[in-house]
Amino acid sequence: MKAKLSAVAAAGLLAGAAGVWLAAHPQPTGPSEPGAILTLVVGASLLGCGLGSWQSRPENRIGPIMVFTSFAWFAAQLTQSPTPWVYTIGTAVQSVWGVGLVYLLLAFPSGQLPGRIDRWLVGAAIVLTLGLELLAMLYGNKAGLRCPGCTDNLLQVVRDNHKAQAWLNLQRLLGIVAVLTVITVLVRRWLKASAPQRRAVAPVLVAGCATLAALAWTVLFDLLGDPLGALPAHVWFYTMATVPIAVMFVFLQRRLARGMVAGLVVELGGSSASAGLRGALARALGDASLELAFWFPVEKCYVDGDGRAVMLPDDDGRRRSTFVERDGQPVAVLIHDPVLEHNAELVRSVCAAASLALENERLQAELRARLVELQASRARLVGATDAERRRIERDLHDGTQQRLVSIAMSLGLLETKLPAQDTAVQPLVRETREALALALEELRELTHGINPPLLTERGLPAALDELCRRAALPTHLDMAVERRLPDEVESAAYFMTSEALTNAAKHSHGREVRVAASYEANNLTVEVADDGIGGASITGGSGLRGLADRVEALGGRFTVSSPPGRGTTLRAEIPCA
Amino acid sequence: MRVVVADDAVILREGLSRLLEEAGFEVVGLAADADALLELVERTIPDVAIIDIRMPPTHTDEGLRAAKVIRERWPSVGLLVLSQHVNARYALELLSAGSNGIGYLLKERVSDLDELSSAVNRVGQGGSILDPAVVGELVGRRRPADNPLEHLTDREREVLALMAEGRSNRAIGERLFVTEHTIEKHIKNILGTLGLPISSDNHRRVLAVITYLNSQ
Repeated sequence: MKAKLSAVAAAGLLAGAAGVWLAAHPQPTGPSEPGAILTLVVGASLLGCGLGSWQSRPENRIGPIMVFTSFAWFAAQLTQSPTPWVYTIGTAVQSVWGVGLVYLLLAFPSGQLPGRIDRWLVGAAIVLTLGLELLAMLYGNKAGLRCPGCTDNLLQVVRDNHKAQAWLNLQRLLGIVAVLTVITVLVRRWLKASAPQRRAVAPVLVAGCATLAALAWTVLFDLLGDPLGALPAHVWFYTMATVPIAVMFVFLQRRLARGMVAGLVVELGGSSASAGLRGALARALGDASLELAFWFPVEKCYVDGDGRAVMLPDDDGRRRSTFVERDGQPVAVLIHDPVLEHNAELVRSVCAAASLALENERLQAELRARLVELQASRARLVGATDAERRRIERDLHDGTQQRLVSIAMSLGLLETKLPAQDTAVQPLVRETREALALALEELRELTHGINPPLLTERGLPAALDELCRRAALPTHLDMAVERRLPDEVESAAYFMTSEALTNAAKHSHGREVRVAASYEANNLTVEVADDGIGGASITGGSGLRGLADRVEALGGRFTVSSPPGRGTTLRAEIPCA
Repeated sequence: MRVVVADDAVILREGLSRLLEEAGFEVVGLAADADALLELVERTIPDVAIIDIRMPPTHTDEGLRAAKVIRERWPSVGLLVLSQHVNARYALELLSAGSNGIGYLLKERVSDLDELSSAVNRVGQGGSILDPAVVGELVGRRRPADNPLEHLTDREREVLALMAEGRSNRAIGERLFVTEHTIEKHIKNILGTLGLPISSDNHRRVLAVITYLNSQ
């Protein structure tokens, strides 16, 4: 590769030297062009910049295109030669550098012509610069139009200055149209581009469009016979000199961006939140739209900082993905603007610099997601327990309780069939019925404890009211909840109140209890306060731990305030919509 | 007396129907849910409808709601609502539905032929009955020391509970083995202490006592 490029460089310099030599010894009546030095500067900087780009990114065609353009540029100088065959070749290819310029502008920065119109335009440039030039040469000597005694054009078949002039005028006219079309395409592409894309092409686009516009202007003036003299007609020549400078500027900018990776490493030392990391990467890559997702090995998918699974963009879409690995394991994916693909080195070095921070972030994101999942699974467990309670209560009601009631009815019927004076069986039946009544009462208490029917049927206000009325200590209820809440929230509030009332009766030695329930801002608050001896603790092995678990499983907060001698207050806050 | 029975459990429906027939009532129809019950009542206009509180489709308080509808459309039909749970709130809602002939009993209570027969008769004749378990809960509730109910004697509490169950003065006397006259004196004392008006209408007396107990 290196040897090949060196050979190209040597050939280029040789061509340049020859061009300069020719330019320094022009034919007396040759076309007036700006100085040989400027010609050499433009050609050499195209060549140097092209070779640099070719070496650093062999897969990108921008380098070869610029080298080609520089050769074509130098080749135009062959028109200055007095030797007929050199002159003929020079004349034939004297405008071919325009193909290179058009190709460069349309394909920058990817090196690929993005659409069909671009390929058409490059094709048109070839036909105009080479095809029409050759046609004109069949009829005459271009330089000869101006100087009849100039060097011979070897391709001339028949001398016909009118036809030659006509072909050349056609070439110029179509050239203007083609140049304006290229400018239009470039401007439209600019308008549709994203911010990073614009940043990547701006200098080249401006220099290129200025050159093309100036060229169109010159050709137009040439057609009209240079009404303003020769000087304004050569503006394009100076703007052409800015094109390689613009390309170099863009490449330099990329090198500077790579220099920012060092800044990124320093920045990452201080930040840990994923927003900070994303921001730092976005700044280093110059792409504000950058998205970051982390690899979750268990789920085998990429997940963003908020725990949502991320769909990777299709490769033909408007976004691209770059994968970050560490020790052969996927860590993260950067979803970014496609333009960053043309600066793969920057992306690679940014990813390398950030891989430790990304791995760190990935672990944190995974932990967060696990916590969210854990919380959800706790809530599901509570929900499942509540559902199970309701099912058991239903089953007991519809099954055992009914069967026992039916047995009681049969016994009642049996009793009527016995003779009243039957002293052997009658007391036995009565005894059985009393035992059965006791069993039914116990079963009723049991099912009520499992799931109070009133809670399911009428909701929290009615159920808490009933609970307070049944309490062993005088209990005052302050109820400010009017609506139905989710089952598991109602259950948690109910059982918390129930347990608190039982505790107050058993342990507080208090005289009365106050229960307050309110719902506001999507939050249910239940507070049970007694005026007893206090000293209750959530860690004391009481039922309080279970209540706290239940409330916390629903994402709520459970607090116990129980200073000795000043009563006990239990408070639950449960979020619910 | 013509009676209809509504219960979604077939064993209870049939068992109750046999007991009722044994007690000498005429069972004119059976229903398995609230809609069938309303249709049945409309068709037969019974003296008493015995209704299970929990029926399909939601298995919550369909029976209670059906009872209220019947009271509104066919006020002459006595209502005896049966429940497997002690629920003072439902009892009160039912009694507040108005006028006479309303009862609320635990299901197992009606397995005793005498109790069943007395309950159906009383509801059919415009009386009101409340299950002793419900009344017990209302009377036995813990109240602050300054509440008037705390000033009643134990005997007066007993009388109050029997009043709340819907029993007549004579029945209370029989139950407590004292004369009707003594009961009348107790009742005067109780109503005076609680600040309630004296009423001879059974339903009105039950409702007033229950409402008072529930509000304290």
